[in-house]
Amino acid sequence: MSLIKKPKLTREGLLAIIVAAFILFLSLTTNFSSKSGIYSFMLDVSPTMVAAIGLSMIIFTGNIDISAGTISGFVAYTAGALVKAGAPMIIFVPAAILVGTLLAGLNGYLTVKFKVPSIVVTLAMNMVHVGFYATFLPQSGWIENLGPRFTWFGRARLFGIIPYTFLVAVVVAAIFIFIMAYSKFGKKLYAVGGNVQSAVYSGINPDRIVIKVFFIEGFLIGISALLRALTRNEVMPSMFIGRELFFISAALVGGVSIFGGSGKITGAVLGAMFVYLITIAMIYLGFQDYYQFALQGIIILIAVFITVADFSNWKKKRLKASEGAV
Amino acid sequence: MSTFKKKSFTSYLSHQTILVIALFVVVMIFGIIEPVFFKPRVFFDVFAIVGEIGLMALGLTFVITTGGIDLGVGYNLQMSGIVFGLTWATTQNLALAIAFTLVTGTLGGFFNGLIISRTRIPSLVTTLATMYLYRGLSMIIAGSNNYAGFPDVLQKISTTRLFGFLPVQFIYLLVLFFILDFIYERGVLGRNLKGMGFNENAVIYSGVNTKKILLGIYTFLGLLCGMAAIVYLGRFSAAKTSMGDNMNFEVITAVLLGGTSTMGGIGSMRGTLIGIIIIGVLKKGFSLLNFSGNIYNFTLGLILILSLLLFSVMEEKKKVSSRKI
Repeated sequence: MSLIKKPKLTREGLLAIIVAAFILFLSLTTNFSSKSGIYSFMLDVSPTMVAAIGLSMIIFTGNIDISAGTISGFVAYTAGALVKAGAPMIIFVPAAILVGTLLAGLNGYLTVKFKVPSIVVTLAMNMVHVGFYATFLPQSGWIENLGPRFTWFGRARLFGIIPYTFLVAVVVAAIFIFIMAYSKFGKKLYAVGGNVQSAVYSGINPDRIVIKVFFIEGFLIGISALLRALTRNEVMPSMFIGRELFFISAALVGGVSIFGGSGKITGAVLGAMFVYLITIAMIYLGFQDYYQFALQGIIILIAVFITVADFSNWKKKRLKASEGAV
Repeated sequence: MSTFKKKSFTSYLSHQTILVIALFVVVMIFGIIEPVFFKPRVFFDVFAIVGEIGLMALGLTFVITTGGIDLGVGYNLQMSGIVFGLTWATTQNLALAIAFTLVTGTLGGFFNGLIISRTRIPSLVTTLATMYLYRGLSMIIAGSNNYAGFPDVLQKISTTRLFGFLPVQFIYLLVLFFILDFIYERGVLGRNLKGMGFNENAVIYSGVNTKKILLGIYTFLGLLCGMAAIVYLGRFSAAKTSMGDNMNFEVITAVLLGGTSTMGGIGSMRGTLIGIIIIGVLKKGFSLLNFSGNIYNFTLGLILILSLLLFSVMEEKKKVSSRKI
């Protein structure tokens, strides 16, 4: 045995290469590498990056959150309403994030305490949220003319090119990559998703972990929604309906296993970039907006298929089949 | 255990009893607020409203019983409906259009079934992905077109009223219900489906080809989506890319409200039928009271969550081990 480790290409490494190749390709063929192109890419990708981290953590435990998009709407509305009421940033940002945390926490609580699958709870919540916007919020939650007190952070840039929102996303990603890789909590999370029974036997309380993860996801959804909302002069909760598709597909493209228990935060971050690069490429190629839906669906299917399929096994099966035929 | 053990009051209340009581209460409330609700022509309108939802919900009961789910039945309906519109607009041939619609729906279901039964991808993700795929496809096919101007024969499929008040959808639902209920409660297939919901391996080891069954039930659900599309078009005479948007959720709600467990293994067609009627009554009642669709969605979501919580508390009391297969 040699002492030198053979460099092994991980799934995340492969994805990083694909993303890099994609960026190179886009900058060679289009004006993607211009200042405004890079700026708008970073601006667009940062909310999805943060939310995809939250969704990945939920999926690690074998759960899912379909209401992530509509929770974002509440977060944005809270921030907008508070700004209109004259609240400074130090109040409206934490308050908005708190709303996201509590709403996602409620999902987690119902999932765990009543043993109802998270998919059903969050699907129903999605409906409740959408109905709530239109029924109970004044003007369906649409608030305009928020002014620079609301937008200054979202529109600020470092060195004239890097949006502050992207910096936030990078910091959040770094923190969560660290947490998942080195903390006890990260290990417990994977354990619960991998095999609940063995997690219980090793002294982990899975219910508590799942509830915690939902709260953390809500916190991240809160940040993500703000990163998106703060770039605009108005908030409209319905703008966020359906965003969960991007979050989930970013996580799944990043190699997070839908069965729970495996995947990496790095993957989710790269997945978010990949999803946006595809979108940008399609816009440059002149496809209509609605091709996005079909494409996202196909991307999810392919990504999950690659995660699920055990190709080494396939080869054996094919061999067997051909032997049988002879 | 002693068979003479005193039963608690709640154990007499099955899901279906509670549902029937709930249905009765809802009907009474709407009837008292808006007495016109009790007129036969208005009341039976409930069945006309839930025709499409009902067809799909009865099929989805099979799927959920196996522990699976289909999130995108509404978009399968949408895609099928758009194909109908396109075929009619280009050929003006009704038989061909109906055939294409049914084929499209069936193919949509077949594609889901193929992925779910042949790969290990869970139905949840598969249908989440195909839901967006079908929505995208129908938008791509339709572009910005709305198809309308369908022949009167098509309208007869959905707007005929027997004896002047009973919508023909009532008959469709009843026939489908009796067939599926018989299969579900008495047939081998029903037994296998429930078995798969509890423990798929056990069913495989008893010599059943579960892959074939899975493929079959998803394809059947697809066919029902195609049929539902035709019933829908008969009622509205226009194929738009917004049709069926809300149905994904309504259909799932009907099934889960009926007491079919998302964990798989338990459920009933009768429950689903009552769930469908409850949804119809809510929809009709809300439209009589001039409430917006958003209030209806909001209420429906709340009802689903509350019913799930209620059922889960009841399950806890009865203990899962006493579930009947």
